[in-house]
Amino acid sequence: MRIGDFHASYRHDEALFDTRVQRAWLGVLLAALAAFPFVGGSYFVYLACLLGIHLISAAGLNIMTGYTGLISLGHAAFMGVGCYTVAVAEKASIPFYLALPLAGLVSAAIGLVVGIPSLRIKGLYFAVATLAAQFVLGFVFREWESVTGGVRGANVPAASLFGFELAGDQRIYFLIVPLAVVMLLGARNLFRTRVGRAFIAIRDRDISAEVLGISLFHHKLLAFAIGSFYAGVAGGLWGYFFRVATPELFGLPLSVFYLAAIIVGGLGSILGTILGATFMTMVPEVLRALVAWAEALGVQEAGVFLASIRQVVFGLLIVGFLIFEPHGLAEIWRRVRRFFHLWPFRT
Amino acid sequence: MSSFDRRRFIGSGIAASAAAALGAPLRVFAQSGEIVIGAAPPITGVFAFAGAGLHAGLSDWVEWKNAQGGIAGRKLRYVAEDSGYKVDQSVAIFKKIVAQHRPPLFYGDSTGWAKAIAPEVSQLGSLLATGPSFSSDLADPVKAPYYFMPGPTYSGMIEILLEHVSRSAAGATKPSVAFVYSDTEFGRDPIPAGKAKAAKLGIPVALEIVTKPGAVDVSAEMIKLRRAKPDFVIFHGYVLAPIPEFIRQMREAGLSSRGMGTIYSMDKTTIDQMGATGAGFLGVMPYRYSFDSQKTPTMELIREVGSRKPGSPWQTLFYTQGWLVGMIFDQVIGRTLGAKKELTGPNMKAALESINKWDTGGIFGVPVSMRTHAIPAGRTYLVTGKSIEPASDWITIG
Repeated sequence: MRIGDFHASYRHDEALFDTRVQRAWLGVLLAALAAFPFVGGSYFVYLACLLGIHLISAAGLNIMTGYTGLISLGHAAFMGVGCYTVAVAEKASIPFYLALPLAGLVSAAIGLVVGIPSLRIKGLYFAVATLAAQFVLGFVFREWESVTGGVRGANVPAASLFGFELAGDQRIYFLIVPLAVVMLLGARNLFRTRVGRAFIAIRDRDISAEVLGISLFHHKLLAFAIGSFYAGVAGGLWGYFFRVATPELFGLPLSVFYLAAIIVGGLGSILGTILGATFMTMVPEVLRALVAWAEALGVQEAGVFLASIRQVVFGLLIVGFLIFEPHGLAEIWRRVRRFFHLWPFRT
Repeated sequence: MSSFDRRRFIGSGIAASAAAALGAPLRVFAQSGEIVIGAAPPITGVFAFAGAGLHAGLSDWVEWKNAQGGIAGRKLRYVAEDSGYKVDQSVAIFKKIVAQHRPPLFYGDSTGWAKAIAPEVSQLGSLLATGPSFSSDLADPVKAPYYFMPGPTYSGMIEILLEHVSRSAAGATKPSVAFVYSDTEFGRDPIPAGKAKAAKLGIPVALEIVTKPGAVDVSAEMIKLRRAKPDFVIFHGYVLAPIPEFIRQMREAGLSSRGMGTIYSMDKTTIDQMGATGAGFLGVMPYRYSFDSQKTPTMELIREVGSRKPGSPWQTLFYTQGWLVGMIFDQVIGRTLGAKKELTGPNMKAALESINKWDTGGIFGVPVSMRTHAIPAGRTYLVTGKSIEPASDWITIG
C-alpha cells in the first residue's frame, strides 16, 4: 500500500513524474505509442492521429478557459488560421518544421487581437466576443479567395522532410503524436511556472491576482496567445493530415466540440484534456462499432434506427458525466487511483 | 491452477484484450470471389433527409443483384456505417472499411469527404469512389482520377436550366435570370459556370443574391428582386428554406418571375413541404421520378423491390440515386472483369470512362455517357398544383 511520496531533494520535488512507477509506466506508454503504427492498422492509426490533433487543440482551449477563465467560442477559427497558414506556407515551399510554428504564431497574433476585449469584459460577455471572432474569421476564410481559395478551399501538400513525404496515416503519425506528447508536457509544465500560476490566480479571482502584483493585461493576453498558438499548430497538423482546408471544417460546431471535450474531461486539468478529447473522439466510434455489431448479429432493419439512437446515447453520456461528476473524467480517474492506492482500505 | 498457469492465463487474457482492442475480430476480409461495396451514408446529421434513402437504395440494389447471381458469378457484400455527415467521421469509416474489407468501390457522403480522401484514393489506386456531392471540383479526372458522380455536376444542372430558359424564349430577346444562392461551397459552386453559360446563350443575368443557408428573413433581398424583375430566379445551395419564403414574397409583390431549383430542392417530399407556394416551381432533375407516368423497366424494378419493405423510402430521388450508383458499379465491375482484368483503380477507371450511350433502363430518359467522370444529362420538371410534370425533353449538355 502506498501512503505518500517522500521527496529527498528539490530536484525530486520538482520532477514532473516523481516516482519510479510513474516513470516506468511513462516508458511503457512511449514505447507503445512508438510501436502502435506498426501493429494498429490504418483505421486505428487514423484515429490516433485525429486524437493527437484534438488533444493539442483541446489543451490550448483548456489553457484559456480551464486555467485562465477566458471562455472561448472561437477556437475552431484559430485552428482554421493555422490550417490556412500551412496551406499558404507550403505554396511558398516553406518546410513543415517551419510552417507549423508559423501557423501557431499567426494564430497567436490573431489571438492577441481577439483577446484584447478580455481586459474590459469577462465571462459570457467575453464568450460572445470570441463568438464574433469565429464568424469574422469564417467570413475571411470564405471571402479572401486569393489566399484561402474561398469556399472551395485550398489543398495542402503532404509535409515532407528532405524529400521524404509524410503522406499516409502511418507516416504523419510520427509527426502528430510526438508533437502532441511534447505540447501536452509543455502545457503541464506551464502550470508549474510563475506565469501558469498567475493564470490560475486570474481565473480564481482576478482582482486578488492584481493586488498580488499580477498584470492582468499581460497575463490574459498571454493566455489567449498561448491557447491560440496550440490551436494554430493543431490546425496546421489538421491541414497536413486531411490535406485540405475549407471554411466549413472550422465552424462553430468544432469550437463547441472542444468546449465539450474540456468540460467533460475536467476544466483546468491536462489529464482532463486528455480524457475529454479521448472521450469525445472515441465514444462516437465505439457507439458506431456497436451499431455495426448489432447489424452483423442480424438486426439489419434496425440499422437506420440504431444510427439515430447512437447520437442520443452520446448526448446522454455527456449529460450523465456532467451530472454525476461535474469535475469531469479527470476527477473520476483520480478517485479510482486513490481507491487503488489505499486498497484494501477504504478512502 | 498453478502460479505459472495463472500467469499464462492472465497473459492470454491481456493478449486477447489487446487483439480485441486493435479490432482483430472485426477483420473480415472479403471471401474468395466476394466483392465488397463500402459506404459511409449520412443516415444522421444535417443530410439525414437524403442519407436514409441513399443507403436503402444502394443496399437494396446489392440484395437484388445477389439474388440475380451477383456480377459475373461473384456475390456482392454491402458494408456501411452512418457518417453523421461529419468529415472526420466519414473519413474514419472510409479508413476502417478499406482496412478491414478492401472494397474496390466506396460510396461516401460529402464534398469535404471526397476532397479529404482524394489523395489517399489516388495513392491506393485500388478503388473507385463516389457520393451524393455534384461539386464541379470533383468532376476532374486529373485531380480526382478515381472519383465519379452519378449525374451532372451542379454547374451542369444550372446549364440545363439555362438551356431550358433559352429554349423558352419566344422571340429574339432572351429572358433574364437572377441567381440566388447560399453562402456555402454547395451554393457557390456552379455560379461562375452558370454566368459563363448565360453569357454564351445571350441570357442577361439581372441579379445575384447570396444568402445564409436556411435564411428566414429575405425582405432585404426581395427589394433587390423587385427592382431587377428577372424572368427566372435560379435558387441553388438550399434544400428548402428560404425558397418558399422567396416565392411567397415574389407572389405578394406581384412579380411574375418563375422560381427554379436544382436536384436537392426537387425531391417530392421537399416540394410537398413547400405547400401551395410550390406550384409553378420549375427545377432540374437528372433522374426520372418514381411516379413518372411513363413506365420504364428500371423504375418498375425499383418500385417492385422497394415496395417489398414497409417504410422503405423507394419513392424518393435519393433511393433512385443509391440504386443508380449500384448500376454504375455493376457496369464498372462487369466491364473490368469482362476484359479479364483485375479490380484495380486504373482498370476500373478505364471501365468507367468507357461507359458510352448506356441505357439505364429509364432512370435517365436518354442513353448516357460518362464525361469528365459525370453524367451530363437531365430534364426540367414543373410543379403543378398536384404533381410534378416534365417541362422539357431530356437535355444532354457539353
